Amino acid sequence: MSSIDITAAPAEPLRERKVSARIWRLAFASIEFRIGLAVLVLLIAAAVLYPSLSGIDPVKMNIKAKLTPPLFMGEGWAWSHPLGTDQLGRDMLVRALVGLRYSLLIGVSTTVLMLLVGALVGLFAGYFGGRTDMVLMRLTDAQLSIPMIILAITILGVSRPTIPSIILVLGLAGWPVYARVMRSTAMSERKKEYVRGAMVLGATDWRIMFALILPLVLPPMAFVAVLDIARMMIFESVLGFLGLGVQPPTPTFGNIIADGRKYLMNAWWIATMPGVFMVLVLTSINLMGASLERARNAIYGGA
Amino acid sequence: MFILRFLARRLFQGAIIVFLVSALIFTLLRVVPGDPVRLMAGGMAPEALIEQIATDMGLRDPIWQQFGRYIGGVVQGDLGQSFVRPANGAAVGGASFDDTTRSERAEVLTLIADTAPMTLQLALLAMGFALVIAVPIGVWGGLRPGGWPDRMALYLSSLFVSLPNFWLGIVLALVLSVKLQLMPAIGYKGFAYAILPALVLAIEIAPFLIRTLTVSVAGVMGQNFIDIARVRGLTRDQIVFRHALKNSSIPLLNLIGVQFSMLLGGVLVIEFIFDYPGLGLLTINAVMQRDFPLIQGIAIVTAAAFVLINIVVDLVATTIDPRLEY
Repeated sequence: MSSIDITAAPAEPLRERKVSARIWRLAFASIEFRIGLAVLVLLIAAAVLYPSLSGIDPVKMNIKAKLTPPLFMGEGWAWSHPLGTDQLGRDMLVRALVGLRYSLLIGVSTTVLMLLVGALVGLFAGYFGGRTDMVLMRLTDAQLSIPMIILAITILGVSRPTIPSIILVLGLAGWPVYARVMRSTAMSERKKEYVRGAMVLGATDWRIMFALILPLVLPPMAFVAVLDIARMMIFESVLGFLGLGVQPPTPTFGNIIADGRKYLMNAWWIATMPGVFMVLVLTSINLMGASLERARNAIYGGA
Repeated sequence: MFILRFLARRLFQGAIIVFLVSALIFTLLRVVPGDPVRLMAGGMAPEALIEQIATDMGLRDPIWQQFGRYIGGVVQGDLGQSFVRPANGAAVGGASFDDTTRSERAEVLTLIADTAPMTLQLALLAMGFALVIAVPIGVWGGLRPGGWPDRMALYLSSLFVSLPNFWLGIVLALVLSVKLQLMPAIGYKGFAYAILPALVLAIEIAPFLIRTLTVSVAGVMGQNFIDIARVRGLTRDQIVFRHALKNSSIPLLNLIGVQFSMLLGGVLVIEFIFDYPGLGLLTINAVMQRDFPLIQGIAIVTAAAFVLINIVVDLVATTIDPRLEY
C-alpha cells in the first residue's frame, strides 16, 4: 500500500504523503468522531480537574450525609453532591471521576503493552517465517484458546492485584490478536520491492524490521487499537467488580458498582451512576474508534 | 476421504494446543504464591500436617513430575479430584483440618459435566437473542451503506459494546425483576431464570454480529451475481434472503469461532451476577478457593471446546459455500 504513495504522488499533488494523516483527516470529518472527542475531552478534563478543584476527598467519609440521592431525585438531595453520596457519605461524582482516572490509565497502558508485544511477536513470526513462525504462532493459538478472562482471574486471584500487575496480566492476555494481524502484514510487506531493495543494499534484518516495516504498518494497527482501550476499560472494571482489580479504598468503577449492589434497593444510584459515567466514556471512545476504523478501511480499500 | 484427512490434521493440531494450554496453566498455578494445602486444611492446621498432606498429594515434587502425572491421567480421561469440593456437594472449604467427612472429594470431570449443560443452555439462548437483535439491524444497515440505517447500526453497536455487562445486569435486574416484576433474576429454579442473563449476554454479543453483518451484506450486495439476479427478475426479498444472506452468513460463522473466548468471558461474569449455576460460576469459585485441579480441568475443557467449535465452524462454512477450502 505504502509504496503507492511515492509513485502516485506526482499524479495527485493534493494527496498527502502520510497514510496516517489521511486517516486522521477522514475520521475527523465524521460527526461521530467529533461528538466522541468532545465528550471524551470534557470527561477527561473533569476527571483531571474536578477532584482537586472541589477539594472533596474521594475516600473521606461523612456519615451525616450518607445515602444522599442525586440532584432532583428523591428527598434530601444537595447541590454539594450532584450525584449523591454512598453508604459512607462519600461523594459519588468525585469517586466516579477518580475511578475514571484509573480506568483510563489502565486501559491505555494495557492497550499499548499488548500492541507492542503483539506487534513484535507478529513481526518476528512474519518476517523470519519457517520454524520461528511455526513456534510463535502455535504459542499464539494456544493462548488464544484460553479465554482471557480465565487467565486473568486465575493469575490475579492467586496473587495480589496491584495496578502494574493488572496492566501486565491484561496486556499479556490480549496480545495474540495483534500478533496474527501483524504476522500477515509483515509477510506481505516482506515480499515487496522496497524490502528486497534494502536487502540488496545490505541492510540487516533488524534495520529492515524496525526502520522500514514497523513504522509503516504499526500506525494503521494503532488506530484500530483505540477500540481495544474501551474493551480493556470494561475488563478492568469487571476485574474490579469481582474484587480482583485495584483494591479499595481506591475507587474504581468496578468496586464502586460491586459495593453499591448491596444497597440497590434503598440507594439505586450508588451502583447505577458510575455505570452511566462509564457508558458515556466508553461510547465516546468506541465512536471515535469506529470512525477511525472506517476511515482506515476506506483508505486501505476495506481490508 | 478428503474430510477425514482434514479432521485428522485439525484434531492433531488441536491436541497440541490443548497440551500447551494445560502446560501453561499448570506451571502458572504452581509458580504463583499461595499454598492450596493451607486453604484445604484450614488456617489452624499445624505446619507439619500441611507438609505431610502436601507430600502425600505429591505437591512438593518438581513441577515437571507433577505435570507428567497429571497429563498421564488426563489422557485416560481422569481430570483429578477437586481440592476443596466434597463429593456430596455440601460444605466447601475452610473446615477444620481434622474433619473426617471431607475424605471424599468430588471428581473434576463430574463437576464440569454437571454444570456445562446449564452454561450451554444459557449460551444458546443468548446466541438466539443476539441473532434476533443483530440480524435486522445489521442487514438493514448493510443494504444501505452510508445511509441512515448504516449509521443507526454504527451508533447502536457502539452503544451496546459500551455497556459493561455486570452493570447492565444489575440495571436490568433492578428494572425488569424488582420494579416491573416481569421475570426472575437471581439463582436457578427453571428455564425462566435463564432469560434475563441470556438477554444481557445477547446485548454483549450483538455489536460484533451487527458490525460483521453490515460489512459482509454490503460487500455481497455490491457483487455481480446480485445485479444479475435482478436482471433474472428475482424480487428484492428473494435476492436479499436467498442470495445475500446466505453468502454473508460465512463471516458470521467465523466470528462465532473467534469470539468464543469473549462469549465465555461474558458467561463467567453474568453467571456470577445472577448466581446462575453454570461453568462460569464454577470457575470463579474455583479461582477464589485456589482449587488447582478444577481450574486446570476447566481450562483444558474450554480449550478443547474452542478447538472443536472452530473445526465445526470450518466444516459448516464449507457446506454453505463449497468453494471454500479446508
